[in-house]
Amino acid sequence: MSEVELPRERVEDALFRAGYWLVFAIVMLPIVVVFVTSFQQGEYLTFPPQEFSLRWYGQFFASAEWLSAVRDSIVIGVGASVLSTALGVTGSLAVQRSDSTLARILPPLILLPLLLPPVVIGLTLLIYFNRVGFGSTYLNIIVAHTLWATPLVFFVMQSVFARFDWDLRDAGMDLGARPSRVFYHVVLPNVRSGVVISAVVAFIVSLQEFIMALFLKSYEVQTVPVLAWTSLQSSLTPLVSVVSAFLVAISILGVLVSAVLMNIEWLAEQL
Amino acid sequence: MSFAWLGERIKRRDAGSVFLIAPLAAFELVFFVVPFLILVRMSLNANADPGFYQPAWTLEAYRAVLDSGLYRDLVVFSFELGVIATVIAVSLALFYAYAAYRADGLRKSLLLFSIILPLLTTLVVKTYAWRPLLSPNGVLNDVLVGVGLIGSPIQFAPGIVGTVIGQVYIVFPYAVLSIYSVLSTMDWDTVEAARDLGASRPRSFLEVVVPEALPGIAVATVVSFAWSVGAYAAPSQLGSGAQTTFAMEIESLMLTQFDYPTGAAFSLLMLAAMLVVSLGVMRLLTGSVGGVEGV
Repeated sequence: MSEVELPRERVEDALFRAGYWLVFAIVMLPIVVVFVTSFQQGEYLTFPPQEFSLRWYGQFFASAEWLSAVRDSIVIGVGASVLSTALGVTGSLAVQRSDSTLARILPPLILLPLLLPPVVIGLTLLIYFNRVGFGSTYLNIIVAHTLWATPLVFFVMQSVFARFDWDLRDAGMDLGARPSRVFYHVVLPNVRSGVVISAVVAFIVSLQEFIMALFLKSYEVQTVPVLAWTSLQSSLTPLVSVVSAFLVAISILGVLVSAVLMNIEWLAEQL
Repeated sequence: MSFAWLGERIKRRDAGSVFLIAPLAAFELVFFVVPFLILVRMSLNANADPGFYQPAWTLEAYRAVLDSGLYRDLVVFSFELGVIATVIAVSLALFYAYAAYRADGLRKSLLLFSIILPLLTTLVVKTYAWRPLLSPNGVLNDVLVGVGLIGSPIQFAPGIVGTVIGQVYIVFPYAVLSIYSVLSTMDWDTVEAARDLGASRPRSFLEVVVPEALPGIAVATVVSFAWSVGAYAAPSQLGSGAQTTFAMEIESLMLTQFDYPTGAAFSLLMLAAMLVVSLGVMRLLTGSVGGVEGV
């Protein structure tokens, strides 16, 4: 209002900007550490490294133990992604179109696993699977990860379906098409990006999840984060940075795919 | 158009909904509700020699947890960590979410990317990557000694500082997104109006933005708190022995000592305590309980 306030506003602006870029730098720092240390030469993880090499990448690709963990992670990730996308999309569609009691209690119920400490879900499922398990570590961990990924799929799809014009579907029905045909030809093309993003996010969530996978692992089957964790118990090896670099790279790819399909603001509001 | 046909159509639609909702409802029932009931049942069994339990109906396991001085210390520390990490994470998150809300174009995308990426990164990476930064001969100490702020290196990790930093880093993205998703529906004109009426920027932030963001702040607080009280990765990776949390003890009870009844009872007691605190926080922040959506 007066000329005294202008410099003050400028100072506030500068401080505000400096503040959030500082937080940005701190948030990104561990990710930078992971990528840089994966190329280090020495035995013991140091940042910044003294010398660089591809030595640990070589070790990673030569290790049967790591490659088998990668396979386990992919099997579980794909399983959890398919299962949670199927359950989340159908469930979301149903809740969108119905106001039965079940449709009202289901959303808070499926959200609950996200609000519980993962250790508690891990222990709950460990006890359960010990009594009535499938006897398959793969299936056990897929179920655990589906409990986590389904709410994400469900709420992403709620927002996608909310934007869909249901009159289009009704028009298809009025013209005599069967519901399955209407879904395939009318609904699906309009919500396809949402379904793809859901599946990608579900896969990444499963790939990165570690505590439930730790509780449910077996001698033969363990995921990449679990193996990384157990290796870190013995030494701070740069090999873990190689693995982490791959894990982070997959997440970056997933975010980019989602950002291209919808946009990053929409994604941020859904997660 | 006859009403009978309309009724028929609505009925058909509902039948379709039941068919669609059944798989999800069945999954949640079989793999979430039933396991939880079995957890409750397990907590009532008697503890036998390591690796075994005696089927029974007893409160022995609860008594064992409540009477144990060691567990009391773990619980107190877990709640302390929960409160400290939540306060830091939510305050920073409010600031960062506001910055992301105000930014536009590439800057907005970068800020949001910096939140979504750690969100989709495994806990293992998020914790161990701090070790070379916070150790006595790590980067932070080099910098602090270099500029003369401290005389000799401090051991941030393993220790309480490392544990708190790691835990804040873990919950920060969830807190930011909870607040951001509420802020993103806010009309900037309200803030402009307050400023036009003479409110300073900090004042317009505190009196217009913060109240608007309250539902998001409440969700951010509850999520950060639940996860921080249940912290496992940060204290095990960045803490010393003094930073043992209840979740670490649960892991040891279940995977090393195989004491299922005690593990179950301990978890249920912690959940009850966390629920009470969370409901209290929700009531304090929003004036009512419930209405939590979109985490």
